[in-house]
Amino acid sequence: MIEYILKLIPAMLSGLEITLSIFSLTLLFSIPLGILVAVGRLSKLKPLVKVIEFYIWVMRGTPLLLQIIFIYFGLPIIGITFERFPAALIAFILNYTAYFGEIFRGGIASIDKGQYEAAKVLGFTSAQTFIRIILPQMIKIVLPSVANEVITLVKDTALVYVVGLGELLRSGKIASNRDASLVPLVMVGVFYLALTWVLTKLFQRIEKRYAYYQ
Amino acid sequence: MRKKSLSKSIILTLIVVLGMFVLGGCGDKDVADKNKDPNAALKDRGSVVMGLDDTFAPMGFRDENNEIVGFDVDLANEVFKRIGIEVKFQQIDWTMKETELKSGNIDVIWNGYTITDERKAKGVAFTQPYLENRQWVITLADSTINCKADLKGKRVAIQNQSSAVDAVNAEPELVASFAGGEPVLFDTNNEAFMDLEAKRADAVVADEVLARYYIKLRGVEKYKVLEENFGEEEYGIGVRKDDVELLEAIDNALNELREDGTYEEIYQKWFAE
Amino acid sequence: MLLKVEGLCKSFKGKQVLKNVGFALHCGEILAIIGRSGSGKTTILRCINNLVKCDRGTIIVDGTVLCKDQQEEKSVYAKPAEMLQIRKKLGMVFQSFNLFPHMSVLENIIEAPVHVFGIARPEAEEKANALLAMLDLQDKTSAYPFELSGGQKQRVAIARACALNPLVMCLDEPTSALDPELREGIAVTIEKLAEQGMGILLITHDMAFAKRVAHRVIFMEAGQIIEEGSKEEFFDHVENEKIKKFVIG
Repeated sequence: MIEYILKLIPAMLSGLEITLSIFSLTLLFSIPLGILVAVGRLSKLKPLVKVIEFYIWVMRGTPLLLQIIFIYFGLPIIGITFERFPAALIAFILNYTAYFGEIFRGGIASIDKGQYEAAKVLGFTSAQTFIRIILPQMIKIVLPSVANEVITLVKDTALVYVVGLGELLRSGKIASNRDASLVPLVMVGVFYLALTWVLTKLFQRIEKRYAYYQ
Repeated sequence: MRKKSLSKSIILTLIVVLGMFVLGGCGDKDVADKNKDPNAALKDRGSVVMGLDDTFAPMGFRDENNEIVGFDVDLANEVFKRIGIEVKFQQIDWTMKETELKSGNIDVIWNGYTITDERKAKGVAFTQPYLENRQWVITLADSTINCKADLKGKRVAIQNQSSAVDAVNAEPELVASFAGGEPVLFDTNNEAFMDLEAKRADAVVADEVLARYYIKLRGVEKYKVLEENFGEEEYGIGVRKDDVELLEAIDNALNELREDGTYEEIYQKWFAE
Repeated sequence: MLLKVEGLCKSFKGKQVLKNVGFALHCGEILAIIGRSGSGKTTILRCINNLVKCDRGTIIVDGTVLCKDQQEEKSVYAKPAEMLQIRKKLGMVFQSFNLFPHMSVLENIIEAPVHVFGIARPEAEEKANALLAMLDLQDKTSAYPFELSGGQKQRVAIARACALNPLVMCLDEPTSALDPELREGIAVTIEKLAEQGMGILLITHDMAFAKRVAHRVIFMEAGQIIEEGSKEEFFDHVENEKIKKFVIG
């Protein structure tokens, strides 16, 4: 048994690599982009607000799987062709940017407008106000929702199988098919649990770091 | 410390991804003018991409070293060696195979791919058949199902988008008599077999070659195969309809393999009793 | 003259909240603007601090024009660079203080001097510590706002507003969030600031407090100044019936 499990590990690690690449790159791009989307959504530029509202509606209103299929198989019809990995990554970034954008918008909107006024009378520009006053307070507010979303992302990465990327779950399915055994799938579950455990601990730490004020 | 290793892994993945972007841009699909070598035009392509579902044991799947192996894979390696071009194996989602082919992401579907009219209508051209296959009905050994008519009111599990679905659907009255009025579809044959073993499904319909593999793995004594089946069929290799050169080249190479005994060798390796 | 306001007019959604308001504030003077809620007194403060733009009128802070009346058209406002200089001359203490919750008391005070006006950190900290000592908060330097009482928060807000040595200090309803026994304390603090030469403009509907601390009083109703005078004139010889009613309660 142990021997069998050890044999499975290399293939799973290569699946894990795809899973982690999609996961970390999606976060790397969609969190900053989400902040921009939130700021745009709260701006006074009516056309921009409408465009962002439409974008968020589409991204949250359709399954991520459909978005991946659309970007990889649909866009080539109008002449835009991506390789498998970039196509999946773009779909993930677009989708998660929308979700993060909404979380951040809620966070920013919940900050008392007195904070803006205090910053204004002290001479802050709006950029300084956002970076020094609003953003740090927003982070604390949105942390629990972001943690939730990040854990969801770990599991959503399994969807990239649809463009033929061999992520963690698929590597388990392959071994399970080959050996007609459930063990590989149990192992995949353990991998996911380990990942989410690390992330849960990480977010607990970050939340603790932000617990110094109320 | 965790932070450090996190940023390290982000940088690593960035490099990996950038590499993928760069490498991904290499495959060019220009076709040059034909000259005397019948495969010259193909050779100019440099390589063909063969799409397969890498969960499809024993036709094409990954071994413990994560290498793609199988009967189809061995055969394909031999065929493309004779043609003189490189073959790249690309795992795909099986439900997307024709879309992958049509959009040019892959050039060949070769993975226990049954020749059907429906698939031809989707724009797939098939080579000569290279393997005979039957659609078997498999039940647990102690099942009371002994012929197709006994499937009435029973739950029948099949791999989604497989030719077994088409074969079963060719008998609509029988399908209508299944529990639920339709087969239960699974992503993989393995899942269909697991469902059978869990006694949620009463029977599995699957390609003979796949079924042999699973029955051997899971224990011959556990299963019963009905005398009756859902028809005989043939596996072929699918290419785009307009890709005539590739079709001819594969056909010629297959003939060669049969003549010089290589085909038999590969067949024995995977399907010897 | 530190602050001069002339012909200030402002409407919100067609409703005129300020009608031709004008007054002046001098060095060391404590001026209280009193009136019912909705009388427009808070809007005056918000116009002076450029939190809302007035429709018409002129505001001059220590000789620098914040906005200038254009007769029939909207007032013209100072350019951003000038505006920053005006901000430096104005201090503002909000009714709910609006301290930055994620920063310590010290960081709240030195934030603007260091990051907006480019004052060296040690210098800004020295000034902040002096202010905290004056306001009896020296032991709260590294506390966070949520750890402070209402009175302490208010004093931090005053210290923050004082950090850039403003000439005019505006306070919006300074007693509204305080327990009654803390009123004397804030009155003493305001007097201390005035003694240093600051002009104090405070908005209140608390008559007793205005009577305790103000040198001069303006009474507003429905966006207009109805009465203006020294504290003695105002409280001892009220003639207007409406004001009488308001003063007596």
